[in-house]
Amino acid sequence: MKNFGDLIILGIESSCDETAAAVLKASRGGFKILASVVSSQIATHRRYGGVVPEVAARMHVENIVPVLGETMETAGVDFKDINLIAATRGPGLVTSLLVGLETAKNLAYFLRKPIVGVNHVVGHLLVSLTNQKEAKFPAMALVVSGGHTQLVLVRKIGDYEIIGETLDDAAGECFDKVAKILNLGYPGGPVVAAEAEKYPISNIQYPIRLPRPMLDQKNYNFSFSGLKTAVLYNFQKQKPAVQKDKHYIRAMCHEAQQAIVNVLVGKTLRAARDYGAETVILAGGVAANKALRETLAARLQEELPRVKYLQPSIVHCTDNAVMIAVAGYYQFMKNKKGDDIFNMEVDPNLRVS
Amino acid sequence: MLMISKNEKETKDFAKKFAKSLNGGEVILLSGNLGAGKTVFVKGLAEGLGVKDIVNSPTFVLMKVYKIGQKRLEIRPPQMWGRQKNINNLIHIDAYRVGGYEDLKNIGFEDFAGREDCVVVVEWGEKIKSKILKSEDKTFFINLKVNRLNSRLIKIIRK
Repeated sequence: MKNFGDLIILGIESSCDETAAAVLKASRGGFKILASVVSSQIATHRRYGGVVPEVAARMHVENIVPVLGETMETAGVDFKDINLIAATRGPGLVTSLLVGLETAKNLAYFLRKPIVGVNHVVGHLLVSLTNQKEAKFPAMALVVSGGHTQLVLVRKIGDYEIIGETLDDAAGECFDKVAKILNLGYPGGPVVAAEAEKYPISNIQYPIRLPRPMLDQKNYNFSFSGLKTAVLYNFQKQKPAVQKDKHYIRAMCHEAQQAIVNVLVGKTLRAARDYGAETVILAGGVAANKALRETLAARLQEELPRVKYLQPSIVHCTDNAVMIAVAGYYQFMKNKKGDDIFNMEVDPNLRVS
Repeated sequence: MLMISKNEKETKDFAKKFAKSLNGGEVILLSGNLGAGKTVFVKGLAEGLGVKDIVNSPTFVLMKVYKIGQKRLEIRPPQMWGRQKNINNLIHIDAYRVGGYEDLKNIGFEDFAGREDCVVVVEWGEKIKSKILKSEDKTFFINLKVNRLNSRLIKIIRK
């Protein structure tokens, strides 16, 4: 077997909307991304895609081969050069997960390569390690996306515990629904963030104050559905002229984003402090939100200056296969053994702990 | 059937009681705008059926399958058929991001709908109302509407 310091890893991800593949080279010096392809960004998808991403399993079935082909071509490697295959096992939508995992299993079988089944959430929280050499543990990770909002204690790589999560809506979902209420576009996160940015600080025409749900409670859980309802009630109370007024929309977006960010940052800092974290990791699709990145970094610097802060590069925040390859690497290196292909199943309810 | 819920707890309690009347094989279509309390209703329904996990919104993942209780013997003697309740799974679907019935079919809706050991609940169910098989006593349409003083009007139609 090759020197384990140098592994070429093929990552495959299809847990929800995206069909993604990536080739990563892992060596003693760190990770090098040779290719990363995500279906929503290539022409094939654009033919079918509209504003709302298609999620039917048949789209993954149609996407997987072109995505894999483009990935291998961009990476400039042959299938025979792959040393390890890493694929998402869960959590997610069962029909989507099956496409990625079964494809990976077949590849592993025919190429006679080891394969590991990876947790999608673990992928998110480890992806920042591609642009940072190391993190000090224990770390507190905030994984926040359209489908997930969790605080995960990382005692060390491979040892995770969920210490808090959303009891209803995920933060990313909250952004989307606020955008929907205000009749803005999809996806909601970027639109709300863009409108919020146009909002001047001193606009007394629309003083809006939204709740910061659960911020003061002692636990590490989240709840965003109340925030959504607060936005809805406020919107419904306004006259039609106000509902269409861009100043109102900007004020509302600004306040909604502020409320979401305040809660996420507040709880994360408290968790980091309470658990003595050496590092705070931001992860997931919502990690691309500028206000969240800046606020978390600033407050950490101010309140926990000794704690290191890791955030993914913008392009790695949303679902991708680089994160699966990274997580797969660490998982494989634990025992230097792949999973048993004939005993690998998807698990739509897979949890990190 | 019509009821007025003054808050989240009342919606949940009502759904919990409603769950006790289910026998398995039911498909429940929930309709109501953003914030009407559809997921809150499902939380109550889940609790009433015995789901122990946190029930949160499946808007992004589209479908979640919650297992209930212990594994039981599949084989029951004929005299037990129809008399014993054996709901092992709650399938919670959110059609908010879904285009239409075909999308739900592709994610396995028909594998679960009507199955004796499952209860299927679909938020934004009005999207597939015209396409599903309607059974006299197994299909429910439940509508939640934001009412005065932020209460909710909950309407249950059996079809």
